[in-house]
Amino acid sequence: MTSRTTAGPRHNPVLAELATGIGSPQPLGHDSGTLHFTVTAADLEHFTHRLAETAGARLADLFAATGDPPDQVVLNMLWALDADDAYLLIQTQLRGENYPALSDIAPAAFVEECEIFEQFGVRPAGDKPLNRVAVPPQADHDIPRLGAAPRHVDGEVHAPHAVGGHAFEFPFGPVRASAQESLYYGLVTSGEEVVDLYLLTWHKYRGLEWRLQGMLPDAALFYVERAEGLSAVAQAWAFAAAVEHATGLRPDPGASRTRALALELERLYNHAAAIAALCQATGLSVGQAGAEIALERLLRVNAAVFGHRYLFGVVGIGGAQRAPDLGPLQTELPEAVAELRAVCRLLSGTNSFLDRLEATGILTTEQAVRLGLVGPVARAAGVAIDARNQHLQPPYDDVAVHPAQGTTGDVLARYQTFLAEIDESARLISELARRGATAGGTTSPRKAGSGLGWAESPRGESLAYVELDGDGSIRRARLRPASARNWRAFDDACRSQNVFTDIPIIEASFWLTVAGTAR
Amino acid sequence: MTSPVHGPAGLSTTSSHSADPERLADELSRNVQRWFGRSLHIRTIDTGSCAACESEIRLLGAPHYDLHRLGFFFTPAPRHADLLMVTGPGVRAMDPALTKTWTAMPEPKVVVAVGACALGGVYPTDAFTHGAIDKVLPVDVYIPGCPPSPIALLHGLLVAVGRLVDRVGAQPFTTTTTGPAAASPC
Repeated sequence: MTSRTTAGPRHNPVLAELATGIGSPQPLGHDSGTLHFTVTAADLEHFTHRLAETAGARLADLFAATGDPPDQVVLNMLWALDADDAYLLIQTQLRGENYPALSDIAPAAFVEECEIFEQFGVRPAGDKPLNRVAVPPQADHDIPRLGAAPRHVDGEVHAPHAVGGHAFEFPFGPVRASAQESLYYGLVTSGEEVVDLYLLTWHKYRGLEWRLQGMLPDAALFYVERAEGLSAVAQAWAFAAAVEHATGLRPDPGASRTRALALELERLYNHAAAIAALCQATGLSVGQAGAEIALERLLRVNAAVFGHRYLFGVVGIGGAQRAPDLGPLQTELPEAVAELRAVCRLLSGTNSFLDRLEATGILTTEQAVRLGLVGPVARAAGVAIDARNQHLQPPYDDVAVHPAQGTTGDVLARYQTFLAEIDESARLISELARRGATAGGTTSPRKAGSGLGWAESPRGESLAYVELDGDGSIRRARLRPASARNWRAFDDACRSQNVFTDIPIIEASFWLTVAGTAR
Repeated sequence: MTSPVHGPAGLSTTSSHSADPERLADELSRNVQRWFGRSLHIRTIDTGSCAACESEIRLLGAPHYDLHRLGFFFTPAPRHADLLMVTGPGVRAMDPALTKTWTAMPEPKVVVAVGACALGGVYPTDAFTHGAIDKVLPVDVYIPGCPPSPIALLHGLLVAVGRLVDRVGAQPFTTTTTGPAAASPC
């Protein structure tokens, strides 16, 4: 792994102030590209303000862990310093049941504040209503938590939303269309226009972070891949990298290229599936059939190259569990990609298709920044973030990535982002294969440590954080797939002058999974 | 796959494990057309999958597999469904929805558990999940795989059609009872 320095972050004014007040930033784990500070609860609000005002700083995650002593909670606030090629983890030991309301400063923290309340019983100061995220109301007393359950839970399951005038609430789900994941839409409408929309996501919450506690990382990888099966490579890579950063493992360059190959194959099939879903949502069955033919061919390429249609079991701790069979990459993949491009060329010349995408589901740059969005959704809204570019790790320090970027933030911009990324992924696969990709890895060392890992999934930045005990078992694992970030913008996108029939189009353009958020 | 199906005379299920997709498709089509008048309706429900099983089920309708040419259709309404495909390990929070879906389906009906989670190979029985779908519903056909490929799903559907044919033969059309599969789910 490339040896990192903190040269970039040292010039960041906020980090300089942090360093002045409380000492130099410390690297988290080994060569990890992550710095960490410990601040007091009293200082937390101040530093959150400063970071929220800093260009190039983005709230990437907020999560809690059991403290020392165990009846206390440690709040972990993770900022991505995209301009400085670093992540910044701010840790605060909480005393009592309250902490400053961070979502008042950085709105991207709200969903996580709700989650932390459910799992650890601590809540932001004030009487802000919190939503239920993972624990169903009927199972409050039965669901195991990561920490102490809240002593008191409000009867409401969701913060108040706008229902007034002629508007009424139209419940939809959790059982939806065929072969769709379970998700509940609370749809507020006056007839056709989407006045408001909220989601209930607890129906398939499987308690994965709770399950991972006490497991060895090698065994945990099985569950990590299944947190969001359509991002299995990205999430497994992020988790493996977190363990590697915690324990000082370094994947060899060939194994890193194997991971990246699998990741780009994952991006290709996901973007093909998203385009097929866009066609279905717009009623273009010919386009849908064409995109699905390409999708099936891409899945068969995955199986030929790595032995699994969805690329499970490729990433290993310390490297890759399988080497790719490069033959199909040279013969079958170009044909499948050519087929996908041909379909997309036709779609891009079909006005009845483009008209349905244009000005539908608009997200502004300001909204994308405010909510901390990632991936094609953010890039289409003009936010140029891509973990492959801005948080360099092998093999991307040798293989440059040219990320796509849109400006209009509508479904059309997201579709065009998919198209550009299909071309870029195909190019990257050729280059990675030319440089050679191998298997290789090891079992996780039995030692203590903490680390953060990341990878750019088809939906955006996937993150994982681990704390390991001295015997190598997991004390706390945090999984943050891109879906967990981007669903929070779905209601904003649906509200922006859209009607019912736009919702499936917007959902297809986000191309998120419920599994990723209800992990 | 489950034990062999014992359908009425004339129902061909013996080559359900054939590696030849075309023979499998022909067989499936023949049985559906003969017993269900070219129309067998499938309702799917997700009880905590990772989304990969849904992806494979969606591909059943894609041109490579084209389930419609075989007489199968997906339906959004459980009241129109003959066959329930269940993915995921049976997350308990989905119990009410799963029960309502299953009870809303008319007799005769079959339940197909799809994928390793639904078969009990991924999650244990605990406070979050039942661990396997046959803990909550009377499962007729088990389709293994993580996820099962579309061709594996087709094999499973062929077996399920046989089960459904059994039910059709046993259906007491002259009485008002609800039939043998009235066990209380969940």
